[in-house]
Amino acid sequence: MAHVNVIALGLFRLDTGLHELSLEANKGKDLYPQLLQKAHETKPDTTVTQADINGCIVLVNGKTARKGTKLADGDTVHLMSPVCGG
Amino acid sequence: MATSYAGYMGKVVELDLTTREVREYPWTDEDRRKYIGGKTMAAKVLDTMLTGREEAFSEENPLIISTGPLTGTGAPCSGRLSISALSPQTGIVASSNCGGTFGYFLKKAGLDALIIRGKCDQHTWIEIDNGRFEFHSADEDGLWGLKATPSQQRIKELLEQKWGAPRSFGQMVIGPAGENLVLYSGIISDERAAGRTGLGAVMGWKNLKGISVTGNHEITVANPEKAAEWNRKFFRALRTHPLTGRQLPRMGTAGLVSPMQMRGMLATRNFSAGRYDQFDKICGETLAEKHNIVNKGCVSCPIRCSRTVDLDGKPVKGPELETLGLLTANIENDDLELVIRLNNELDELGMDTISCAGTIAWAMEANEKGLWDNGLTFGKADELVGIIEDIAYRRGIGEELALGSKRLSKKYGGVDFAIQSKGLELSAYEPRRAVGMGLGYAVSNRGGCHLNGGYLVILEGLGLFTDPQTAHAKADATMMFQDLMEAIAASGQCLFSSYIFFPGILITRPNSALTTTINKAIPYIGGVLRLINKYPLAVQMHMPVLPHTRAFELITGMKMKMGDYMRAGERGYTLERQISTRFGVSAKDDTLPKRLTDVPQDPNDPKTKVPLDKMKRSYYNARGWTQDGRPKVSTLKKLKII
Repeated sequence: MAHVNVIALGLFRLDTGLHELSLEANKGKDLYPQLLQKAHETKPDTTVTQADINGCIVLVNGKTARKGTKLADGDTVHLMSPVCGG
Repeated sequence: MATSYAGYMGKVVELDLTTREVREYPWTDEDRRKYIGGKTMAAKVLDTMLTGREEAFSEENPLIISTGPLTGTGAPCSGRLSISALSPQTGIVASSNCGGTFGYFLKKAGLDALIIRGKCDQHTWIEIDNGRFEFHSADEDGLWGLKATPSQQRIKELLEQKWGAPRSFGQMVIGPAGENLVLYSGIISDERAAGRTGLGAVMGWKNLKGISVTGNHEITVANPEKAAEWNRKFFRALRTHPLTGRQLPRMGTAGLVSPMQMRGMLATRNFSAGRYDQFDKICGETLAEKHNIVNKGCVSCPIRCSRTVDLDGKPVKGPELETLGLLTANIENDDLELVIRLNNELDELGMDTISCAGTIAWAMEANEKGLWDNGLTFGKADELVGIIEDIAYRRGIGEELALGSKRLSKKYGGVDFAIQSKGLELSAYEPRRAVGMGLGYAVSNRGGCHLNGGYLVILEGLGLFTDPQTAHAKADATMMFQDLMEAIAASGQCLFSSYIFFPGILITRPNSALTTTINKAIPYIGGVLRLINKYPLAVQMHMPVLPHTRAFELITGMKMKMGDYMRAGERGYTLERQISTRFGVSAKDDTLPKRLTDVPQDPNDPKTKVPLDKMKRSYYNARGWTQDGRPKVSTLKKLKII
């Protein structure tokens, strides 16, 4: 298992109260159930679902990734709900 | 000159401030079919009035306030108007779009547009009531010299004293910056701003402090029942779309700071980098968590993207993404509360937050490089409240900062890092990580504007995830988005309503096979986009992803299929360009500073710069312009401009 730093952004952050976490995972998708659990611990009334997490944009070390992307020790994973408009 | 179309009031008025004459401007239904309204209608008027020899500060420069046929009709996001003129900042035709209520009330007064010529002989404000024009002294009424909010409060007091009872009305004013001819001063209406290109200074030069407008004319709709039903669907589509229904209402444009940081496109230290190490202190999430009170919207807007935030215990308008980025990362300031204060003060003084912040960033770098000893330093923002006031009142270094980065860099040096195009400072998107946006900034009719430039960042990492470094298809996509947004603005609708063009599933499932495939495919469909751009009239249908055209038809009674809409947008865009060529604009002006075209953002990745020349050639071909950037005669004929 790789030790990774996960940073929540966008509405995902506002809706879960999660900011920055240290988690263990082999692939991006291994993080999702852990994040959902943490979200409910941090904000019991959160309405965020697994589908919302699946819909987040994933970046690993600043590069676009997918949920199947393999993670390595020390990686930084950003999860961000989609955004647009300026 | 009455009209057979609904939505329009059928009257455009020309007001001569010098003689105080008011006369109807001839504007026919054929003009309405070709130029719709808003900024493209204004472009046609400017086309007849400007020869290429006029200056922005002259009686010959008309200031045109124009609505679209959908303005105030109840269609979604239809609270918009355009203000157009020759810009003192860029010296070419410019238009600035504004929300609020003025457009609605202008139509209630029976007017589609107001063309303001000449110059008042004294400081003046004008009251328009059902087509009646009354001139008032801005000095005797205690208006001249006031900031934006006190100005609007004073006009309200004066009108209520006169009326004896409250009535609804719209108003627009300039602040001290406009009065003192700061080249990037804007016009404020309610809390909204027509901020860009210095049109506040045009008003100031004309000695015109403000305009109020009211009336009780009926705004008609061609097919009220079907329009109402369609608008309900349109509203629903906006409310259920992940961008216009969730993200923008919840976070506003400030929500873009984080993805821009992630993508390396958050302008940092005068566009010398694309990531800011203190971004978490100033991002939209922090703004929402620490300062947001409520979101607000314009007339008939379900998106409600504007923020009301807390400042000193009072609710004030929150900063948009551009202001947030340029007054934080770009000058290395991590004090979010200070940004709220600066944003509020800039609106009160009546200045464009983008150009002001961009000019300050340039000045900081010029100081650092020893080109201009002005005392401004990256990371030292405490003094900026005083500095922006000095700009508005043209005191001390403010006298020079009021000129903008292009003029200052010509005087002191530092042209290569004056982050502007055609004299207009760029907004906060660092284009070396979104090269299509770089092309847009360079070719934009009004100068370095992300929206007038086609807003290709929506494909390049803020929405979809097409390769941001490739030049493939970017020229054709830029043209398509520019024309689409031109038509939306001309109709009187907000550009943000165009985001539903992107199916929600592509946004909510960014990692799906479908979205990934589309992202990869876009660079290879340039040929298809070019065909659509070239023969839009072949698309004689409404597109399900763009409810705007059907709403347009039901409200006005005018045929407006997707192809007609795109062609009208292209016509307006090309006409603006054609006018600007009279003022000497050509390919040489469609540029970016060398920092963005010659210096890779990542020294180890030579692709991280804007391949502008290559994209420009393709763009001119797509538009039917010469390689010198001038619309060909055949193109002007095809578009029925000549």
